[in-house]
Amino acid sequence: MTDSKYFTTNKKAEIFELKAELNNEKKEKRKEAVKKVIAVITVGKDVSSVFPDIVNCMQTDNLKLKKLVYLYLMNYAKSQPDMAIIAVNSFVKDCEDPNLLIQALAVRTMGCIWVDKITEYLSEPLLKCLEDEHPYVRKTAAVCVAKLHDINAQMVEDQGFLDYLWGLIADSNPMVVANAVAALSEISESHPNSNLLNLNTQNINKLRTALNKGQIFMLDCLSNYNPKNDRKAQSICERVTPQLSHANSAVVLSVVKVLMKFLELLPKDSDYYNMLLKKLAPPLVTLMSGESEVQYASLRNINLIVQKRPEILKQEIKVFFVKYNDPIYVKLEKLDIRIHLASQANIAQVLAELKEYATEVNVDFVRKAVWATGRCAIKVEQSAEHCVSTLLDLIKTKVNYVVQEVIAVIRDIFRKYSNKYESIIATLCENLDSLDEPDARSAMIWILLESFLEGFHDENTQEQLTLLTLVQQMLTLATQDSDNPDLRERGYTYWALLSADPVTAKEVVLSEKPLISQETELIEPTALEELICHIGSLASVYHKPSNAFVEGSHGIHRKHLPIHHGSTDAGDSPVGTTTATNLEQPQVIPSQGDLLGSLLNLDLSLPINVPQVSSMQMGAVDLLGGGLDSLVGQSFIPSSVPATFAPSPTPAVVRSGLNDLFELSTGIGMAPGGYVAPKAVWLPAVKAKGLEISGTFTHRQGVGWILESSLTGVIPSTPLAIHTPLMPNQSIDVSLSLNTLGGCEKQYRCLLLQLPQPTQCAFVEGGKMEHQVFLATWKNIPNENELQFQIKECHLNADTVSSELQNNNVYTIAKRNVEGRDILYQSLKLTNGIWILAELRVQPGNPNYTLSRKCRAPEVSQYIYQVHNSILKN
Amino acid sequence: MISQFFILSSKGDPLIYKDFRGDSGGRDVAELFYRKLTGLPGDESPVVMHHDGRHFIHIRHSSLYLVVTTSENVSPFSLLELLSRLATLLGDYCGSLGEGTISRNVALVYELLDEVLDYGYVQTTSTEMLRNFIQTEAVVSKPFSLFDLSSVGLFGAETQQSKVAPSSAASRPVLSSRSDQSQKNEVFLDVVERLSVLIASNGSLLKVDVQGEIRLKSFLPSGSEMRIGLTEEFCVGKSELRGYGPGIRVDEVSFHSSVNLDEFESHRILRLQPPQGELTVMRYQLSDDLPSPLPFRLFPSVQWDRGSGRLQVYLKLRCDLPSKSQALNVRLHLPLPRGVVSLSQELSSPEQKAELADGALRWDLPQVQGGSQLSGLFQMDVPGPPGPPSHGLSTSASPLGLGPASLSFELPRHTCSGLQVRFLRLAFRPCGNANPHKWVRHLSHSDAYVIRI
Repeated sequence: MTDSKYFTTNKKAEIFELKAELNNEKKEKRKEAVKKVIAVITVGKDVSSVFPDIVNCMQTDNLKLKKLVYLYLMNYAKSQPDMAIIAVNSFVKDCEDPNLLIQALAVRTMGCIWVDKITEYLSEPLLKCLEDEHPYVRKTAAVCVAKLHDINAQMVEDQGFLDYLWGLIADSNPMVVANAVAALSEISESHPNSNLLNLNTQNINKLRTALNKGQIFMLDCLSNYNPKNDRKAQSICERVTPQLSHANSAVVLSVVKVLMKFLELLPKDSDYYNMLLKKLAPPLVTLMSGESEVQYASLRNINLIVQKRPEILKQEIKVFFVKYNDPIYVKLEKLDIRIHLASQANIAQVLAELKEYATEVNVDFVRKAVWATGRCAIKVEQSAEHCVSTLLDLIKTKVNYVVQEVIAVIRDIFRKYSNKYESIIATLCENLDSLDEPDARSAMIWILLESFLEGFHDENTQEQLTLLTLVQQMLTLATQDSDNPDLRERGYTYWALLSADPVTAKEVVLSEKPLISQETELIEPTALEELICHIGSLASVYHKPSNAFVEGSHGIHRKHLPIHHGSTDAGDSPVGTTTATNLEQPQVIPSQGDLLGSLLNLDLSLPINVPQVSSMQMGAVDLLGGGLDSLVGQSFIPSSVPATFAPSPTPAVVRSGLNDLFELSTGIGMAPGGYVAPKAVWLPAVKAKGLEISGTFTHRQGVGWILESSLTGVIPSTPLAIHTPLMPNQSIDVSLSLNTLGGCEKQYRCLLLQLPQPTQCAFVEGGKMEHQVFLATWKNIPNENELQFQIKECHLNADTVSSELQNNNVYTIAKRNVEGRDILYQSLKLTNGIWILAELRVQPGNPNYTLSRKCRAPEVSQYIYQVHNSILKN
Repeated sequence: MISQFFILSSKGDPLIYKDFRGDSGGRDVAELFYRKLTGLPGDESPVVMHHDGRHFIHIRHSSLYLVVTTSENVSPFSLLELLSRLATLLGDYCGSLGEGTISRNVALVYELLDEVLDYGYVQTTSTEMLRNFIQTEAVVSKPFSLFDLSSVGLFGAETQQSKVAPSSAASRPVLSSRSDQSQKNEVFLDVVERLSVLIASNGSLLKVDVQGEIRLKSFLPSGSEMRIGLTEEFCVGKSELRGYGPGIRVDEVSFHSSVNLDEFESHRILRLQPPQGELTVMRYQLSDDLPSPLPFRLFPSVQWDRGSGRLQVYLKLRCDLPSKSQALNVRLHLPLPRGVVSLSQELSSPEQKAELADGALRWDLPQVQGGSQLSGLFQMDVPGPPGPPSHGLSTSASPLGLGPASLSFELPRHTCSGLQVRFLRLAFRPCGNANPHKWVRHLSHSDAYVIRI
């Protein structure tokens, strides 16, 4: 009898058949029937209708049958809570069963049933099980507390389950301890402010003694601990180092993480420090012998490690030879690491390999190899010559994608070593016809024009004129014939710039080009430090901070590497200390004052708009709030501080820290009452290596929209100079020279901001429709284009609504009163000429409005609704 | 913690689906995973994928996908370890891992999962512990026969032939037929080495490394003690020296946590009391300095006439194994320029075969004796765009897309590191039964043996 035939049944009668079999007298038959049911569940069919019959089978002393029944119950208990109640008596009975398997089974399953009635019954047997003599029951019960907390947190806290869990931490059985710790940490995560996982020195010692059990969790806890001096750090390192040869890669990585963190605390010249560096290499190399999945995850981590401390693996570059049968994702990672490890000593070997790789079959891999060759030229200056000749060899292969990639890469080399390799332009030009990829084409254009510009003064007049004519033609083409708004606007920008202010234009266009640097491909130092603290976790595989992909309480905490205190530093303080937070606060407020002052100076005619000031005050409140939170919250996770306002020991963080938070405004002012959308982040810091740009558009009656923006991470040496309001579709290029605290100007050069067009800014004036036209249009638009929305919690009356909206170019055409409700008919027009008709129903006393919209282009409605909603709520 | 676990067949059909936390999307997730996996661009890795707050981590094993999902920033390594451990466990309990065995044993698999994971937290993965809890018996497709020699191979190792021991005997569930004690007294001990080599086109050795494992599959009652004696000259690390000879040296060794190393320092003896089922006793690796010459050397010569598109490749393969040894299932794989159509060949012996497959030349040599030398002359036509004006002479510069050559082979009774198992002694004496069968096998096979041309 095999289970596979259960997959094939597909009839309606099947359920009846199953029911009959489930009620069969023979135990064996019933068992087979339950097996069948379980197989059916796996194929995705609904067999919840046999629930009562299954529950009947529950009353058996046959362990095999019972286990099968519980398998079924687990599956359906959560989705069919009402039916699960039928089983409650059997549950309670099984919880007291002398057979510990049945006892544990019952407790385990009951925790998965989301019915209060069941949990009431659960609490008493659960308390007994937590004290059961058999560890199997205790460990199951410990997990069950976490389940119960998920269903009914109050009950867990009231009935003292947490004390039981703390008791289990000292259990003799490691599995019970592990489950208790897991349960406690899960519970404490749902209460970020509670003091459940109190990691004081005493508990740390407890965890350290438990290290022999090789628990990754314990190692992770340890890495969150900040030892008070280097001796202590060293003693922890000594304890964990033997675990480096553990067979489990997860343990190895956790140890590596602890060591990477504590290396920061050790004096750099000590013998122990150097020995530790040596010890780190072999386990990392061993990881490369695993399955390709493990290899990939390891490579991602090694990538971080070599960026932070290349010295660890500098002797081991051979390990990252690409194997012929590696999966492509492993190959690409290995290439990346080879580039990080490339140095003058091994560059010849690296280049020889890259050249081989460039002849392989896989296109992605070949491109990456070519790209890597270019990186080498930029990273190791002595090798540039060699790299360029390798690249030229590759061009000769005439393989289309190789040639294109080579040309794109050579552009970067030109940027680093200008005036050095111009001789190869001729070779590049031979391949002009084969270029069909945008990147390669643009690189080629750049190279050619750049070389013309270099020698512009030496050319004769005719050539100079030709070039100028081309510029003229290009601008015309871009502004008049192009359908791409980005292109058109850029074109207009240059045109306007040239015609209005040639001096500025010269500054913008002919400014000194910063050198391209090898660091462009590295992870930004702050982010790298954070990722190092997440070695062995998903964050380290994605190379993204965990708050980028995990929701919930983890998101607000950012980890960073500890500071070297030196051996005299006292205090067992968590990273991100109280004092640091306190120090930071006074600096916040003066800088705010300065900001206000500078805003006033900047302002030309009208007073500063009110909403902006209030939003800044909001910012201040946030800052203080964040600070306080961190004071309260630090006892819980020691190394965590609130993300944005992290007072950090490293200069990298300080750069983007509070000190530099400043705002710029070019506000000419605005009509009071108009809605200002809260500033949105247009360019998140993660993408722009620490530079953050946020801004909003404000509306000024009769004029247009004003750009407000703030930048974080840099200090402007001159204020942002946009003195005129921007009209829709108008584009202004602004030159803003920025000073950074670190030497990182180069990173920001190629920054092209594409601002999302705020929809409310797109409402144009003159969107008022004639009464008759409105009626006709309303009827003309088919009903399926009508969309209804609810605007909730709005406490304005119809008249204020109407004037509020009028300020934002939404015009009320007519107003009716039907059965005590006000109905407003409104129209508005978008910059692109789309008309939108709306009907807004306002009922006095009811804060929820109904908004119906009709428009020929229904896809815009959703956005309009959002704007409507936000206008009315402000 | 883990939200879900599922097993998909190679076509993406769910075979097993288990939701541990009830907090995430239902079984559509399995389908979503497969869609995402198949739609992934070439330069992105499928190992860890992220979708809508959920992370998919998977391994491929015996053409099945074993997948876990989680919504937390957990260690992907522990999940990968767990998955491969689960694969072994399922193999132990169901006999072997495959679409057929899984769907025959759905109830057993669920029961196992239930004990291995609770609420997404790992409880235990030890075969021994689980034996106390698991009630369902494995359903096997056909009775095993010790004399079934038709499909011979090592368990676990993905090689086709070893002609040493009947491996189907090793692929049976550890727990099946509880009553039938007599069949169980067998131990399989394998020393398996994977050899990766990279040889530059000028013949110089760029890289060589050996990754070895000692694997044990025991059908003896759990806890029966055994002692494994390794070559006495075995030494670890670059500095250590043992005996008078050059010694058998490896760079790194790691042992399973159950191995008792009391006698390792003095006599190179590993003592352990293995649980039933499969276990990797020791892992080791060695790079750069091999004690013996490489098993194969290839001497290629390429003649290419760009003008006529005629490509001639002469390959001479020398096997440097000791003359007693032989290599089996040798296959040379040589990627050819795009569009190669015809192939004419002259091979040095009749049992060889060569053909064009997937744009590459495949040269099969079923058996190569140590010390022998084989050769093949291959002529092909490469159509495609005529190159730059032909010089009318055949040039030796190889055309694009040719090479590198890669070799795959098996070397039975041979370890590249020289490591041997001297003895396997069992303390266990079954009452009334014959001595347990002990199978000790040595095997090396190629991982990536690449010769650039």
